[in-house]
Amino acid sequence: MRESGRTHPAVLVAIWMVLLLAPAWLGLVGGYTALGARVLVLGLAAMSLNFLLGFTGVLSFGHAAWFGLGAYGTGLTLKFVAASTPLALLAGTLLGGVLGAALGALIAHRRGIYFAMVTIAFGQVFYYIAYRWNALTGGDDGLRGFSRQNLAIGPWSVDIVANGVAFYYFVLICFAAIVAIMALLLRSPFGHTLVAIRENERRARFLGIPVEFHIWAAFALSCVFISFAGGLYALLNNFADPNNLHYSLSGDLVIMAVLGGMRSFWGPLLGAAVFVVLQDYVSSLTTNWMSFVGLLFVLVVLFFPRGLLGVLRGKSPA
Amino acid sequence: MTDLHSARFVGASRIGRRAVIRAGAAIGLAQLASPFILRGARGDTPLRIGMIDPLTGAYAAPARNEVMGAQLAVSRLNAAGGVLGRPLELLVEDSANDVGTGVQKARKLVERDHVDFLIGDVNSAVAQAIAQVAMENKILHIVSGGHTDTITGTDCKWNVYRVCNTTRMESNAVSDILFKKYGKKWHFITPDYTFGHTLQAALEVNLKRLGGIETGAELTPLGTTDFSAYLIKARAANPDVIILLVQGQDMVNCLKQIVQFGINKEVPIAGTQQELESLEGLPSEARIGTWMFEWYWNQPGVPHLPEFIADIRKVNKGRVPTARHWFGFTSVMTMGLVAAQEKTTDAVKLAHALSDFELPPEVKLQPNKVYYRAGDHQLMLSAFIGQAQAKGKDDPDDLFAVDQVVAGDAVAPPVADTGCTLHWPA
Repeated sequence: MRESGRTHPAVLVAIWMVLLLAPAWLGLVGGYTALGARVLVLGLAAMSLNFLLGFTGVLSFGHAAWFGLGAYGTGLTLKFVAASTPLALLAGTLLGGVLGAALGALIAHRRGIYFAMVTIAFGQVFYYIAYRWNALTGGDDGLRGFSRQNLAIGPWSVDIVANGVAFYYFVLICFAAIVAIMALLLRSPFGHTLVAIRENERRARFLGIPVEFHIWAAFALSCVFISFAGGLYALLNNFADPNNLHYSLSGDLVIMAVLGGMRSFWGPLLGAAVFVVLQDYVSSLTTNWMSFVGLLFVLVVLFFPRGLLGVLRGKSPA
Repeated sequence: MTDLHSARFVGASRIGRRAVIRAGAAIGLAQLASPFILRGARGDTPLRIGMIDPLTGAYAAPARNEVMGAQLAVSRLNAAGGVLGRPLELLVEDSANDVGTGVQKARKLVERDHVDFLIGDVNSAVAQAIAQVAMENKILHIVSGGHTDTITGTDCKWNVYRVCNTTRMESNAVSDILFKKYGKKWHFITPDYTFGHTLQAALEVNLKRLGGIETGAELTPLGTTDFSAYLIKARAANPDVIILLVQGQDMVNCLKQIVQFGINKEVPIAGTQQELESLEGLPSEARIGTWMFEWYWNQPGVPHLPEFIADIRKVNKGRVPTARHWFGFTSVMTMGLVAAQEKTTDAVKLAHALSDFELPPEVKLQPNKVYYRAGDHQLMLSAFIGQAQAKGKDDPDDLFAVDQVVAGDAVAPPVADTGCTLHWPA
């Protein structure tokens, strides 16, 4: 149970130091800055999913849809509406968040396998819209012809277009903001209620907690967070394509969360880091890199059901 | 329940300290372990070419063939002393058919490995995304195998050249011939995504110009295994020819069923792009139809071709080269030749030098003049039009009988119609 509590300050300091200094040490160990940004973005997406999966206890298998909607919302805004990075991110977050909240109202009453099935179905609806609506989304070729824009802060302009390190810190600041909101929410009475629902839904219901409302709220918030991550992903690639909405990406996000440890706040970030780094390095050596990720996943599920972070933290009562 | 809450925090703080050390060690190890192996393998002096192709997924077969061709070009150039006195090194990365991964690999090759050139990708969407990364970093990029028009059309870039055909070149290459040969009533079987739509649209324009009639179009989802409903509808429409635009495994399934139903005995089958990889995947009785190849290995009398075939056979389990081998080969050779000619690796100078750059006979391996058109950076390669055949006369891999070879600039739309405007860096 402790994992839903606070992370020890020393761990927090260590995590943030590693993230803050990433542009300095990534190059030394054979990485590169864009890899760090990708870990952050996918880590944020996995943490958003885990807000629902790990802390509310419901499994969404269609979360890529909201991720992709965030990406498309951001890209379309940059392409057709205004050349402003913050505005585009906001628009992407709203697009995914609002649609997620609306459809979440239909989904929140389902449980278990039905919940997962319905989320896949809705996810694929958006996938096919992006895939088929050639005129707006570019269809299978993806949405291109937009680019992230430099940030204007008062009289200064921050170059995040050509300067990869500056963009990394931009992503890190966004990441920190969303993670802070998530952590505050989880520490609030609302967050404790979510955990109570996860632990024993019937008891929560008997205590007078409006369970459906809470699950819906958690779903909607999770959609908002992951749409934001999707928006960052579009900025990272300067591209959005239908695979961003596909259920296989939803599966990848679930793998990241489970791999890292879905009962811990930071687990999904670790899972995303392992997933992305494995993909990056092993795929340069062999085309069978997915087998390694799959093998690791199987091993983790079989022997370390609490995920990699669970292993690092040592044995503890379930 | 309140006790549980406090216990939770105590527990967290106890484990936390240990976690710091363990997490630190684990992250450090995870980061260190693999990259050093790679660093050792990748020295610093060579001229580096980064190649990104979908080595896993639906396009794995053509992608691997492109890589094989590129490797042959690298070993040939290195055997001749390298380029600018430096050996060439090919760094291959898997895009896994995913744009995000492709972009990531492009950044990796540029930022970490400092490649001088980029090649890729079979998947048009990935190719366009890589092109953007290449332009941001001012790196010369050759699209080896992605066919979407926009790469050398509305989205063309000063640093991007393309070896394979555009969809419009493919449809122009076959339209007149099919019209003359089979008649004016056409029925399409089209894969239901951007590539299929653009290809069909291009053919429709030509059909209209020629005064033909479209009896209908069946849009089939990618990955369709059962084409019977579409085929019955197509036959009922009573066209003069059925035009198959599906690709890869879909093409294989569709052709098999056409033969099963005996439709090919009533209506001729034709299409645009056909690949040796697909024909090899078909039972011999289903190797039918009139098609266009982007390059074909059996061209008697073409100089330097026998050496190329022999070299590919050595590394391809005795099989002949396909168009994909030639794409990869040509992409690398282009970069090597132009860098040697200009005595520089500066992308802007090389990109200028490639405008109207003509491929020498030992690279082009086909009869007509083959050159990169200055206006849109599209290679003017010939189209090989002919018939699929069940069995080769002298070679089991000779599955296509070429009727005619049409020069690329005869089928490419004029630059003004491509929508391409090149913006060169100042």
